[in-house]
Amino acid sequence: MAKYIAIWTAGALALSFGNPTLADVTIGVTVSSTGSGAALGIPLKNSVELWPSEIAGEKLKVIVLDDAGDPSIATTNARRFVNDDKVDVIVGSALTPASIAVAGVAAEASTPHFSASPVPPNISKGKWTFVLPQDAGLIARTLFAKMRADGAKTFGYIGFSDSYGDLWVNQYKAIGAEYGLEMVADERYARPDTSVSGQVLKIVAARPDAVLIGASGTGAALPQIGLRERGFIGTIYQTHGAVTFDFLRIAGASADNTVFASGPVMVAEAQPDTAETKKDGMDYVTTYEAKFGAGTRTQFGAHIHDAMAILKKAIPVALEKAKPGTSEFRNTLRDAIETGGPFPASQGVFEYKADDHLGLDERAVVLLTAKDGKFELIE
Amino acid sequence: MDATIATFLIQDGLTNGAVYALLGLALVLVFSVTRVIFIPQGEFVAYGALTLALLDGGRVPATASLLICFGLLAFLVDLWTMRRGTSTAAILWSVLFNLALPAAIYAVTLGIAPLALPSLVKALLTVAIIAPMGFYVYRIAYRPLADASVLVLLIASVGVHLAMMGLGLVFFGAEGLRARPLSAGSFAVGPLLVSAQSLWIYGATIAIIVGLYLFFEKTLLGKALRATAVNRLGARLVGVPTQFTGVTAFLLAATIGAVSGVLIGPITTIYYDTGFLIGLKGFVAAIIGGLASFPVTAIAAIGVGMVESFTSFFASSFKEIIVFGLIIPVLIWLSLGAGLHEEE
Amino acid sequence: MTADLKHTLPGAIAIVVLALVPLLPVPPFWITLLNNIGLASLVAIGLVLLTGVGGMTSFGQAAFCGFGAYTTAVLTTAYGFSPWATLPLSLIAGAATALPLGLITVRLSGHFLPLGTIAWGLALYYLFGQVELVGRYDGISGIPPLELAGHRFLSGQSIYYVIWFFVIATAIGARNLLDSRVGRGIRALRGGGQVAEAFGVDIVRAKLTVFILAGIVAALSGWLYAHMQRSVNPTPFGLNMGIEYLLMAVVGGAGHVWGAIFGAGVVLILKDLLQRFLPDLIGSSINFEMIVFGALLVTILQFARDGLWPLVLKFAAKRPTRQPAAAGSLPRRTMPAVGTPLLRIDMARKAFGGLVAVNDVSFEIKAGQIAGLIGPNGAGKSTTFNLITGMLSLTSGSVFYGGEKLSGMSPRRIAKHGIARTFQHAKILPTMSVLENVTLGAHLRGSAGVFKSFLHLERQEEATLLAEAARQLERVGLGANMHRPAGDLALGQIRILEIARALCLDPTILLLDEPAAGLRHAEKQELSALLRKLKEEGVSVLLVEHDMGFVMGLVDHLVVLDFGTLIAEGKPAEVRQHPAVIAAYLGEVAA
Repeated sequence: MAKYIAIWTAGALALSFGNPTLADVTIGVTVSSTGSGAALGIPLKNSVELWPSEIAGEKLKVIVLDDAGDPSIATTNARRFVNDDKVDVIVGSALTPASIAVAGVAAEASTPHFSASPVPPNISKGKWTFVLPQDAGLIARTLFAKMRADGAKTFGYIGFSDSYGDLWVNQYKAIGAEYGLEMVADERYARPDTSVSGQVLKIVAARPDAVLIGASGTGAALPQIGLRERGFIGTIYQTHGAVTFDFLRIAGASADNTVFASGPVMVAEAQPDTAETKKDGMDYVTTYEAKFGAGTRTQFGAHIHDAMAILKKAIPVALEKAKPGTSEFRNTLRDAIETGGPFPASQGVFEYKADDHLGLDERAVVLLTAKDGKFELIE
Repeated sequence: MDATIATFLIQDGLTNGAVYALLGLALVLVFSVTRVIFIPQGEFVAYGALTLALLDGGRVPATASLLICFGLLAFLVDLWTMRRGTSTAAILWSVLFNLALPAAIYAVTLGIAPLALPSLVKALLTVAIIAPMGFYVYRIAYRPLADASVLVLLIASVGVHLAMMGLGLVFFGAEGLRARPLSAGSFAVGPLLVSAQSLWIYGATIAIIVGLYLFFEKTLLGKALRATAVNRLGARLVGVPTQFTGVTAFLLAATIGAVSGVLIGPITTIYYDTGFLIGLKGFVAAIIGGLASFPVTAIAAIGVGMVESFTSFFASSFKEIIVFGLIIPVLIWLSLGAGLHEEE
Repeated sequence: MTADLKHTLPGAIAIVVLALVPLLPVPPFWITLLNNIGLASLVAIGLVLLTGVGGMTSFGQAAFCGFGAYTTAVLTTAYGFSPWATLPLSLIAGAATALPLGLITVRLSGHFLPLGTIAWGLALYYLFGQVELVGRYDGISGIPPLELAGHRFLSGQSIYYVIWFFVIATAIGARNLLDSRVGRGIRALRGGGQVAEAFGVDIVRAKLTVFILAGIVAALSGWLYAHMQRSVNPTPFGLNMGIEYLLMAVVGGAGHVWGAIFGAGVVLILKDLLQRFLPDLIGSSINFEMIVFGALLVTILQFARDGLWPLVLKFAAKRPTRQPAAAGSLPRRTMPAVGTPLLRIDMARKAFGGLVAVNDVSFEIKAGQIAGLIGPNGAGKSTTFNLITGMLSLTSGSVFYGGEKLSGMSPRRIAKHGIARTFQHAKILPTMSVLENVTLGAHLRGSAGVFKSFLHLERQEEATLLAEAARQLERVGLGANMHRPAGDLALGQIRILEIARALCLDPTILLLDEPAAGLRHAEKQELSALLRKLKEEGVSVLLVEHDMGFVMGLVDHLVVLDFGTLIAEGKPAEVRQHPAVIAAYLGEVAA
């Protein structure tokens, strides 16, 4: 029995260590570093390690927790951040349902929140949540415009059977008509599926001019390869979630001539020097790849970097008016984020407004194509 | 849908079904001999596929070092069991199986991984790395629980599954990998394009089924396993060591898992957590086979592959619901035929 | 300190501590964690009933949480229901889902059920993600908080009390249920199905009952979850959570209601500690939690197979034993008039494949008779017992009781006629007390249902049943052992226990399978006396026995079987002289 008591006491003590020393700026990060969203969450977690240890002379205290993509765990994590750690900012999560859950807690506790995944409009309209990734609408408009420019009138869709997969169908329903596009097939698959032959056959049979794939990471390679194997010769369009080097590694030659919408960070080097996203993008890419190896950068990790790019400018403003750990600080910080832009960062130039917490414009999207296992900028 | 599409779908269903069949057979094998519902079976598939993919890249797969860890752990478990007296021979055997064997496999892997090897050699090396893990998993997790109830063994399986999946995430990362096919190329058969890899899949599946049949029918060990499956106590009374049959069952299961991984790795992207879902589809087949019948399981697995292939064409959003919901009518049918059973 | 107080004190202290926690200056996260533990405990309590007690393993409980959570989410957000109004509807949703799934699966044995639950756990998860009404994969947000007299349960502290009120109420209800007539039937499911059936427990119904109960408490957890989280989506209701709930029940100790809460606490606190401190401990940000968690689980099973709660119980005071009060007596059956035909076996035949175990056997027993059924090993005596009691179905022929045809009826319905039996291989529930084992025999003489039992509104009836069992135990001479676990008894005592249990049915005829085996001489004398006494009361007896001295001195009528065939029948003295009997049976004994 003594042993059990010892363990419990140790646990109890450990749990009470949450209180930070006041006056440090505390940031709580919840990401899915395990579970089905691990591929998105791990680069986020890695990027946190590149954050500076202090801003404007204030020490930065960062707490990273895993939510495994589960909204319940994300909520628990967020509650702990606001209640116990008295964080000044929450960042996360990598998956949409989990981010929605975090946004709820952030709003309750009046704490600024950066979502590292796209969220539905009712969430991004919230007072405390700021969205880091490009809004799906922005990406969709870019891709649909490109489709129209390429002469496509019909397209087939295949995407994940999850929130991300739903996103692009919703975009089509909302704005597809503006671009004169017709979706002739809507197919779904799960990331760990071993075959998408059925879906691909159905799409090919519908004879679309183009195909849009709504999937992320290497998971987007399965239909890409399948479509080419089944002899689909039209252009394939991929969303920004698919733009990773791992994707190219898996998809190989089948990725050639595919059109990707992407944040600029994936081709930071290829941007013209005049691009506002070049300097910060190069900073991020160089440090990240120096630490985690060449060709390891991802869009997702860059969002975390961008959160810090914003905070680096906003925190000093807030510090002038209030002390970290207080609700005044969180209020002024929120105002500074909302009004202090533009913040040029690696993925775009953020300029939030009271009625726009998406903050990005077309400078945050580039069109890429793949050639010989590399991404190339489409002019 | 026209005939061409139908043949494509049938071919696709057959290919996946063949892999599910292998897993289903392994599950039936392990369950009937040891009463373990072997949830981690899928992990061996993922390990096999990911190991092969890394070997393709000329890298030393992390599974080789993992094997050493497993061996070391098994050795420690052995020492723990032997703490109240033992023989030199027992320790020697333990050192040989748990320390020397993985070390040797690791050395071989280290030596030949960077070489440009023929695909078949890489595939065999993969199986050699993964198969012994079945032995260690049995030794570490299941043997101390040999007399436990099916429920306890099932929960233990969940624990092993979580641990192995976690190890997969640590060692292979979250992104998927794809291996190179054993032989590239494809043949045109009428309108069909049959890839060489799918021929490997059909061939290996048939070979393993025939091999299992011969093993159970013709060899003494195979007969001992069957005897254990029919009556554990009886088998022990006539001198069949149940531990030995247990080891054999797990070793066979891991081998079949690794082979499945080698077969499926080149036709799809495999993630650290893919194995679980593939394994579950094998389970659906095994359940239809009553966790007892090899032929019914194999046929059911092909059926699962077919259903999956056709639903992914007709209603891809509802594929999982249909494939896993498939089990409900089967359960109804089984429950109509079932009387009341005493729980174990 | 009295034993009673000693027993209830730790529980009372625990409740007071629980009530005070939110008022103490603890880190707020503790409250969040305790809320999560409370929610998980509810599901785990359901699993204790289902898995630990009922022997049915389910990985799919999270799906029932989902039905509870989505019901209230949809009704409150889209149709403007008040949260409290949706509580019964959520629970009904859980029950309504559990019913068809239960009907399909509870009839299945052992491993099919858990595998089936894995399948539906997955299928339902994807279904939640596909349905437009429940917001697909993004789910539903903006669910209103609970409200009571103007107070909105927004903060963790306030909903804490709501959650733990339900947890403790459910736990007490579950304990009440197990400690009742219905509960004994449920507890007999695991390993005592045949006994339960032989004494009139409707097994399928008992299984369905726990299955639905487990579904309802899971739905309750889901309902609370929805109003605590105020948003729902499919992820928390998938297979992974289903697995985790089962882990909690197992880690706690699947047979203990309080163990469920303990298990939920251990698992959730451990996960939290691992995720918070493991990275610092091993100096790496790689995720080892899942590995450590899996390994720990296997280790717990290897070293504490019954979970951790029994270890805790070792330090707890023993539950005080209460002598059943002599509360009212149960109505007795009218015994058939002595000498009237009671049980008639007519051309009974049982074939197992090619082997004919009972070959067209016919005989009759009159009311108030003690009859013996004898024959060498393998003569088909126990098979005949099983045919009479409905445990086995007849291949051909029939069995009549009075004028009524018994064959084709379930053991349960046969038991209702007043036919009670013991088993050749004694079947008892070793962890239950002797008294409870015997009370199981009186199952048909009570009528309280699940609801009454849950609230312990059936105490009067329960006391009467227990008193009856105690009376029968005293009668057979086991009164002193009443409160010991039945598994502690010697084999001979267990056989006597079975007789007491059979007597609790208030039988017109007792079928005793080798009652004297394992008894010492004096005990056999007592048994003879008891059986004679029963005969005087009008109870008939049919017994299978090998001890010829015992049989010959006792029975009025003797039936001899050999290789499934009746070879002789009549008064003991006559049968003893029968040449076929001497050849087949006594010859064997002589040799």
